[in-house]
Amino acid sequence: MPGLRAALPAALLLLSSFPPAAAKQPPWPWVPGVMHALNPSDSQASAAARTALHYSNYHGASPSRLRALHQVLKATVKAIPEVGMKYYMHFTTEDYITGEDAGSCLATVLYLKKSPPQVYIKCTHTQDKKQIHEEDNRFYQYLQHRKKPIIASNIPDSYGNIDRDHLALWGLAIAGSSCIMWERSREKLAYFVAQVKAVKQWIRKDSAVEFEFMILLHETPTQKIDLCHMHLIWILGHPLEVKYICTSDSHGLEDGSGQDSGSAAGMFHGKEGNF
Amino acid sequence: MHSGPKVYLLNMKVLLVFAALLVGTFSEQLFVGDQVLRAVASDEEQIALLRALGEQVDLQVDFWRDPTKPGRPADLRVPFSRLQAVKVFLESHGISYSIMIEDVQQLLDEEKRTMMLSKRMERSANKFNFASYHTLEEIYDWMDTLVADHPSLVSKIQIGESYEKRPLYVLKFSTGGSNRPAVWLDTGIHSREWITQATGVWTANKLAEDYGHDPTVTSLLDTVDIFFEIVTNPDGYAFTHSSNRLWRKTRSINAGSSCIGVDPNRNWDAGFGDIGSSSNPCSETYHGPYAHSESEVKSIVDFIQSHGNVKGLVSIHSYSQMLMFPYGYKRTPAPDHEELNELAKKAVNDLAAVYGTEYTYGSIADTIYLAAGTTVDWAYENGVKYSYTFELRDTGRYGFLLPSSQIIPTATETWPALLDILVHVQQHLY
Repeated sequence: MPGLRAALPAALLLLSSFPPAAAKQPPWPWVPGVMHALNPSDSQASAAARTALHYSNYHGASPSRLRALHQVLKATVKAIPEVGMKYYMHFTTEDYITGEDAGSCLATVLYLKKSPPQVYIKCTHTQDKKQIHEEDNRFYQYLQHRKKPIIASNIPDSYGNIDRDHLALWGLAIAGSSCIMWERSREKLAYFVAQVKAVKQWIRKDSAVEFEFMILLHETPTQKIDLCHMHLIWILGHPLEVKYICTSDSHGLEDGSGQDSGSAAGMFHGKEGNF
Repeated sequence: MHSGPKVYLLNMKVLLVFAALLVGTFSEQLFVGDQVLRAVASDEEQIALLRALGEQVDLQVDFWRDPTKPGRPADLRVPFSRLQAVKVFLESHGISYSIMIEDVQQLLDEEKRTMMLSKRMERSANKFNFASYHTLEEIYDWMDTLVADHPSLVSKIQIGESYEKRPLYVLKFSTGGSNRPAVWLDTGIHSREWITQATGVWTANKLAEDYGHDPTVTSLLDTVDIFFEIVTNPDGYAFTHSSNRLWRKTRSINAGSSCIGVDPNRNWDAGFGDIGSSSNPCSETYHGPYAHSESEVKSIVDFIQSHGNVKGLVSIHSYSQMLMFPYGYKRTPAPDHEELNELAKKAVNDLAAVYGTEYTYGSIADTIYLAAGTTVDWAYENGVKYSYTFELRDTGRYGFLLPSSQIIPTATETWPALLDILVHVQQHLY
């Protein structure tokens, strides 16, 4: 996002002063151009914070360093006419996998009508950077050196269990899925990873690591379960390369002939990816 | 590819385990090295080829899912000794396939082991395992043991039948009197929210155990009756076990649509059909053809109305960690907003005091989103002043697939919050 990077110093100034907000929460809808304070427990504030974290988790390209929202400390919102709604937030986070405190973040999220939200996010680092690098590296080496491809399904299973051996794989799936969730988030549409339905590794001759995933995303407030076929290439130290196609999947295969589940219905096809 | 290999394995597993047990004495390991392949034909010619493959007796290919049309997956179990030949066949004809199950025997052994382990534990302990998720049958059986263990406190009544004709059971907690003021509790109205049915079981047991020992519970049940429906959507619950773990709605057939089910928490006659519900049968928030169209909902409506003395209602969902009260279908504050809000605040604080789990609270419309035709809105507009809904753990990490290790902690922390509401009703009868 070159535009946002250029605006970085200005953004930092803006965030550090935490723009003065209108005293009272106005009735729906927002008066344009004016900053309105949000109750930190407002679900809209949480949704915006999570959108920022999807962006961060995807761009972090690290299965060992993923953040989940802990608590929103402060949030304000401004309606930008003709453009969208911009949220300004300060929130605390925890490690996605372990639940440990993972520091706090400042973020802005500009929700647009038809494109992925524009996100700026900056977090404090309480996790040991060196340790995270080592964990990523260890996992990466393990994946790179495999002769037999990893194949797994249902992470977590119906009972919420995740094999210890699959924890890092789950992390990788979440990192990749965060791309999907960030791009699809809108002001009134939020996503969670419901389950990693299936994962298959493609063994490569070069240094990259390649996977195909079937991910079930939970969409709110529609309550839909979307099935996404995700293709991911990971080269350590580089941004994750994610390609995906999603289909709405509220009605399993059991429902009979009428329900065609779309192009992502089959599992993994042949040798080449299907994109 | 929606429910994955496990779906078919589940159906086939019963057959296979049965078959395996039958022939057990002759050969223990029937399926070692066998694989299940998923093949996808790209045109009719390939469909024909797959069918021909199945007909070649010497290849012993066994279809778990038949080839139907191009683009639709077909699953074939191939014995170890025929793997090479079958794969060569598929590859030479350009039929794409992948390995779904690498070793069928391994999977069977593992599942058998888990099943046997769990049965052994339950038999020896002679106690229901509250820390694990159970099937519908297991929960219904447990209800009978609860009644048998506490016959002067708990009875089981049937308030109706589900769409697929399963009984709708309610546990009645009463120490006597005649049509005492009552509180209605329900869990599992959305079948995929497994933590709720599990919490329901634990809580019902807690109520029964604490009566006569804990002064608060004793005083409560000496004044007020409790009606507790633990599996409010049994058709959906059975479906989450057999076919789709993430099924939410009922399983009723919708006329003129291939999509099944109605959202039972949009089917109530309060703002029915308004924004916050869908008129599309394929939607997860489909409100149904008309209010109370679902027998699962109508049965509760009829019960509460004919009872005539229900003063509180708590309908339990997951996930999000919220405690909410009316309204969901409009943003206007309910007349009793202040009182309901204060009580919610107290309950949420008492919940957090147990393990530090943080909940938000407020009206449904303010706290989560506009939702029309909900249980609590209907109850509130039909004389049940203290109407609440919980969204239990977590906030999205595991979501619906909450690990069973969190069942008891979740139920334990929710208990004081629930008790706050029950006691408030008891002390503010109207």
